[in-house]
Formats: sequence, C-alpha cells, structure tokens
Amino acid sequence: MKKRFVIAFISGSLLLTLGMTGTASASGESVGSCAIEEIEAFEEETGLSLHDLHGGGNEEALQTLSDSVEGCIEAPSPIIPEVNEIIWGGGAFLVLLALMLWKGFPAVQKIMNERSEKIASDLDEADKAKADAQAVKSQYEAELADAKSAAAAVLEEARQQAEVLRSDLQARAETEIAEMKSQAASDIEAAHDRAMGDLQSEVADIVVGAAERVVEANLDAEAQARLIDNYIDQVGSN
Amino acid sequence: MSKLNLLALDFPPVSHLFEWPDFAFHGTPLAMNKTVLIYLFAFALTLGLFLLSGSKKGLVPRGISHVAEGGINFVEDSIVMQTMGAEGKKYVPFLTTMFFFIFFSNIFEVIPFIQFPANARMAVPIAMALMVWVIYNFLGVKNQGFFGYIKNSLFPPGVPKALYIIVTPIEFFSVFIIRPLSLAIRLWANMVAGHLLLVTFAVLSATLWDSTYVGAVAPAAMLTLMTGFEILVSFLQAFIFTILTAVYMGGAIHPEH
Repeated sequence: MKKRFVIAFISGSLLLTLGMTGTASASGESVGSCAIEEIEAFEEETGLSLHDLHGGGNEEALQTLSDSVEGCIEAPSPIIPEVNEIIWGGGAFLVLLALMLWKGFPAVQKIMNERSEKIASDLDEADKAKADAQAVKSQYEAELADAKSAAAAVLEEARQQAEVLRSDLQARAETEIAEMKSQAASDIEAAHDRAMGDLQSEVADIVVGAAERVVEANLDAEAQARLIDNYIDQVGSN
Repeated sequence: MSKLNLLALDFPPVSHLFEWPDFAFHGTPLAMNKTVLIYLFAFALTLGLFLLSGSKKGLVPRGISHVAEGGINFVEDSIVMQTMGAEGKKYVPFLTTMFFFIFFSNIFEVIPFIQFPANARMAVPIAMALMVWVIYNFLGVKNQGFFGYIKNSLFPPGVPKALYIIVTPIEFFSVFIIRPLSLAIRLWANMVAGHLLLVTFAVLSATLWDSTYVGAVAPAAMLTLMTGFEILVSFLQAFIFTILTAVYMGGAIHPEH
C-alpha cells in the first residue's frame, strides 16, 4: 500500500511536470518573434505603424518602441533569485529534510544496520562453529592417540604373552622330547636286550644242533651248556 | 548582417532559457512554474527512493536499494569520514538528503522533454547556501563558544600578529560572506553554463539540419558528448556542494583542523 502510494506520487509528479511545462527550453520564444510581438503590441497601443515612424518627427514613440524591442535581448539579472522559487525550492528541501530524518533515512539505515548485525552475527557463529569443530577435532585426535597407545599396549602385552607361551611350549616340548628320547632309549635298550636274549637262545639251539652234527659226540647236558655259554660269550665279546 | 543571421540561426533570448511562465497562483509568492515543479519532483524522487528502499523486505539489497544505500555509503565514506571524521556521522542524513536533492534537481538538465536544471535558477542554491551558513556558524558557536569561534575564525593561530591586520578582514569576508555566496554561485553558474552549452548545440544542430543535413553531424555529436558531460557535472556539483558543506561544518566543530 505504502509502496503503491510512493510510486503513484512520483509518477504523478512526473506527469504534472511534463504536462504543465511544455517542451525543452531550446524551443522557447526567439528574439525575432519577441521583437515582432513587441512591435505588434506597440502598433496596437499607439495606432502607429513602423511606416509612420520612418518619416521622422515622432522620436518619442520611436524611442519607446526601441526600448521595448531591446527588452527582447536584455535578460533580467539571472543571479537574483525569484521569491516564489525560493519559497517552493527552499520549502521543498526543508520538508524533504524533515521527512527524511523522520522516515526515509531511518528506514534504510535500519535495513543496513540489520544487515551489518546479521553479517557480524553470522561471522561470530562461524567463528564459534570453527572453534567447536577445532575442539572436536582436538578431542578426536587425543582419543585417537589414546586408542593408538592402548592398541600398542595390547599388542605389546599380547606379544609378551605369546613370548611366554612360546617359551613354555618350547620348554615343555623340549622336556617331552627329552622324555620321549629317554623312553625311546629305554625301549631300544629293552628291545636290544630282548633281541639279544632271543638271539642267544636261537644261536644256542643252532650251535648245539650244528655241534651235534659236527662232533656227533654225546656230551652231557652240563658240559654242553657250559660249552655253549662260553661260545656265546665269545661271540658277544666279538 | 551577422554570420549567425546568414545561417538563419534563431537563438532564443537568454531569459527565455531560464525563466518560465507561471501556470498557477500567478503573481503571488507561491506562483508555480517549471522550475518549481522540478524542485517538487526532486523532492518526490529523493523521498520516494528512500521510502521504497526502506520498505524492501529481506537483507540482501536489490534494485533501487542499491542507489539509496550506495548514496548513504558514498556520503559517509567519501564525504563525512574524509572531512569530519567519525564524529560527523550524525550529519550523514542531512548531507545525504542535500546530495540527492541537488543531484535530482540538476539531472533534469538531460531528461528528455524537461531538459532544464532547476539549479540554473539561483533560488535553491542560495537558499541552501544560507542554510549551510546558519548551520556551520551555529555549530561553531556551539562547539567553541561565541568568542572562541570568532577568535579561531578571524585570528587563525600560527600567523604573525602583525599580519592579522591583513588576515583578519580577509578571513571575515571569507568565512562569513564569501563562503555562502561561492557555494551558491558555483552550483548555479555551472548549471547555467551547462544548460547554455546544450541549448547552443541543440539550436545549432536543428538549424544546420534544416539547411544542410550533413552540417548537423558535428554539432549533434558535440551535443551528445556534452549531454554525457553534463550528467557528470550534475553529479559532480552535487558532490562539491555537499563536501564543501561538510568541510565548513567540520571546520566549525574542529577548529584545529
């Protein structure tokens, strides 16, 4: 509503200016037409024509006409202001100043101030957000560093445990191997002894059989046993 | 017979270029003519510009707001801060109003079908110059005291005492008499000269067009060039009037400057 009123006011003023003032200044009355108008007015007032003046004897009328025609090329002092223009122009400025101080300027200034405040506030918020983000980042970095050190500690602990476990397992394995070795040695020894016993009796039988066939002699059992044992001992020492 | 007459150059009397017939309230102090309407239009334009800009919603300036806000910033940064400093910011509304009113009164010099700078009449230049005279003298007395202001104005410090015989009368005429007159005459004379130039080239173009066609090219080109130049002059004279006002006011507030 207010906007429409302002636009209507300006448009109305422009139309009034255009409509009531005519065309551009350069199209104004010329010196020639002014002189003609003055001459016509002179002729109308005095009833004399220019031809009447040519004859002479009417110097006073000629002077009057001359003065009025000269008025066409003589401008009044343009530096002297017109009262009506001072009143309207000066008054327009004073009223404008009052209205501008009252309404016009504060309205624009308010928008400019609001914008400045908004920008300042947005910048503050951006600074705050940046500081917050920085704090969060620092916190994350600290937490990350903690996590890294915790992970390193866990790894170290695991490594140590693994080392201990490995040492235990190695020691146990070595013990078991030693036991197995010892067991195996015992088993081997027993098997050796057993094999030697078996071999000894087998060999004795073979030898007895062979001796019987060789000497075909009938020795008593005690003598045979002694002979065999001696033979076996001899074979065993070899 | 003069050369101008040979060319059939029908140049209007100078008074017809600046004096306009009354169309209302004939013969009274409130008589209205073309000049008065231009003042009223400058009034409406300035006020309308600021009211429309002030009514725009949203914080991002658009369209006409740029002109109003740009004007305020221009007056504040290029005039007030340069001449009066931060203390002068409270006078920005006054100086901005003055700048726009003078500018709009001037710019009608090149607006088609109006083509008359209202400040080519002495009324507003002298009225505003007298207003400025009252304001800066008031500020001087208010800020320095009556005797302090007179002393600082008429007896500038740092001048050998013997020279005061010459300097004091000069300063008196300069500060209290010449300033408002020079302020008014500078603006008025510039606009008168600009208007005369444009009319001269326009009449010359029209006359040569009637007689030779081709001969009108040169004055028409000059007319175009001078029209652009007068736009600059309109702005420049508004700026000069406003900045000198600020200088006088600043000098009255801070005599040491």
